Amino acid sequence: MPARLVAIAKSHKQRHGSQHLAIFAAVAWPPSLVGMGETILEVSHLSVRQGGLLAVEDVSFALAPETDTALVGPNGAGKSSLVQAVLGLIPRQGGSVRLLGHALGPHGQLPPPVRDQIAYLPQLFAPRGRFPLTVAEFVALGGAPAAGRRQAVQRSLELCACQGLERRLLSELSAGQLKRVLLAFCVVRPRRLLVLDEAQAGLDAQAAEQFHNLLFDLRRSQGWTILQVSHDLDMVRRSCDRVLCLNRRLRCAGSPDHALSPGQLAQLYGHHYAPYRHQHEPAAQP
Amino acid sequence: MTPDASALLVLLGLPFMQRALLAGLLTGGLGGLLGSVAVLRQMAFFSDALGHASLLGLTLAVALGLNPTLVLLPFAVVFALVVNAVVRRSRLPVDALLNIIYSASLAIAVLALSRLPRQGPGLEALLFGDILGVTWLDLGLIAGLLLVAVVLLARHRRSQILLCLDEPLARSRGVDAERQQLLFVVLLALAVALAIKAVGVLLISAFIVMPACGARLVSRGFSGYVLLSSAIGAGGAVIGLLASGLFNLPSGPALVVVQLLGFVLALLASATDRPGAAASASSPDRVG
Repeated sequence: MPARLVAIAKSHKQRHGSQHLAIFAAVAWPPSLVGMGETILEVSHLSVRQGGLLAVEDVSFALAPETDTALVGPNGAGKSSLVQAVLGLIPRQGGSVRLLGHALGPHGQLPPPVRDQIAYLPQLFAPRGRFPLTVAEFVALGGAPAAGRRQAVQRSLELCACQGLERRLLSELSAGQLKRVLLAFCVVRPRRLLVLDEAQAGLDAQAAEQFHNLLFDLRRSQGWTILQVSHDLDMVRRSCDRVLCLNRRLRCAGSPDHALSPGQLAQLYGHHYAPYRHQHEPAAQP
Repeated sequence: MTPDASALLVLLGLPFMQRALLAGLLTGGLGGLLGSVAVLRQMAFFSDALGHASLLGLTLAVALGLNPTLVLLPFAVVFALVVNAVVRRSRLPVDALLNIIYSASLAIAVLALSRLPRQGPGLEALLFGDILGVTWLDLGLIAGLLLVAVVLLARHRRSQILLCLDEPLARSRGVDAERQQLLFVVLLALAVALAIKAVGVLLISAFIVMPACGARLVSRGFSGYVLLSSAIGAGGAVIGLLASGLFNLPSGPALVVVQLLGFVLALLASATDRPGAAASASSPDRVG
């Protein structure tokens, strides 16, 4: 078992007194089995129609606490539609979604206390023109409690390596800074589930690595469960517990070693697919 | 003619001028307030379309022989709601669609006006405004709407800012995007309907957009931005009105030209602005 899973399980045991659930959640499939324990997110037979086409068809999965799950697949596979439907941002054609034990309403309704525990980082977030909102103002909008708001904002900015940016306008930030500020927006109040839609899009290699490391640290310290759409298979391989391969339907699911094996990737992306590994990393085994 | 202090005092003593100044102050503040959100939500062209379409409502009032303001208010709200629904469902680019709507509305209204017997305000007054003809009823309506707008925008401030930034992000935080959009569209429609009398159909959009654009160039925080936009709107209207009285200029264009000067000043000031330089950022304690 990967050392990271053991670490997560230990962390889970400290928090909840049970080691079994976290280990189980990281490897368990199908979702009906995961449903036996506590689940953060439970998706059952979800279908989503976008622009008259079925973008997502009959997808089921579940996430257990403090796991990091990647959603991978080619462009147009329905990844963004899936996460948006899971959060109730777009309507679903069929199926059901339960978030933190609460059923998502037909129009995406969730009780506010449940919604407050879920954060979403959109794929494209770039304030247009000179947007007159400071970083501190924006982070406070993430739901900082009225009492001690200034301290909560400051703490979030420090956690996300954004000290000194408080008075900068959002439109004055680099792409990397903007992503970190978005994380501060999430950290400003306790969350249990973080959903990221290609959070590393638009970042250069160094900024992407910084963001990834920050996300990993925050996940451990905050106890987040993560569902992230990603095209960075190396990052997924290194840091995610579980991978869901989507191409309209769920094609495979499991550990990164299993789901990102050459055979599975060829099946997901087509037989012309050839994984490229960075030179500083060990080459993929055929 | 060179105006002097005595001419100004005489002007300020006239009841219709006092009403006009009060109307300019309130309408300018209202335009700046709503414009600050409209500009961030990229709805500047929407206010333009609303303004041009208002000529249809005015034509209807002339044809029926009714008080133009009382006809224009429901007309503008219904028109705005219909256009909003069309824009959200259409697959055409929003600017192209709004262009079609406002051009068609203007053309139909002018054609209809040409067939009606001449009565009430002339076409020029409708196109460029006649703030000197403002009544106590108009003033009461403007003051009431300004109060409602301040209360509603303060109450829904967080939702409106998040929607200006990113709709999916706002929705993920539980913001009812459709409800917030309807709320703002109705407020904007009512403001346009009431401000038409001050600046007319053709200049109403500038009246809403220009103060906000000027404030956006120099503000380093949301509260400051909204306040500055309202101040430019109100101040520009009052100064423009006084200038129009002293120099015998058409009032609507004079108001807009003074607001343009405010925008140019902001443009010049922004040229020296550097990121992180200003210490006037709002406190996070005032947000949300």
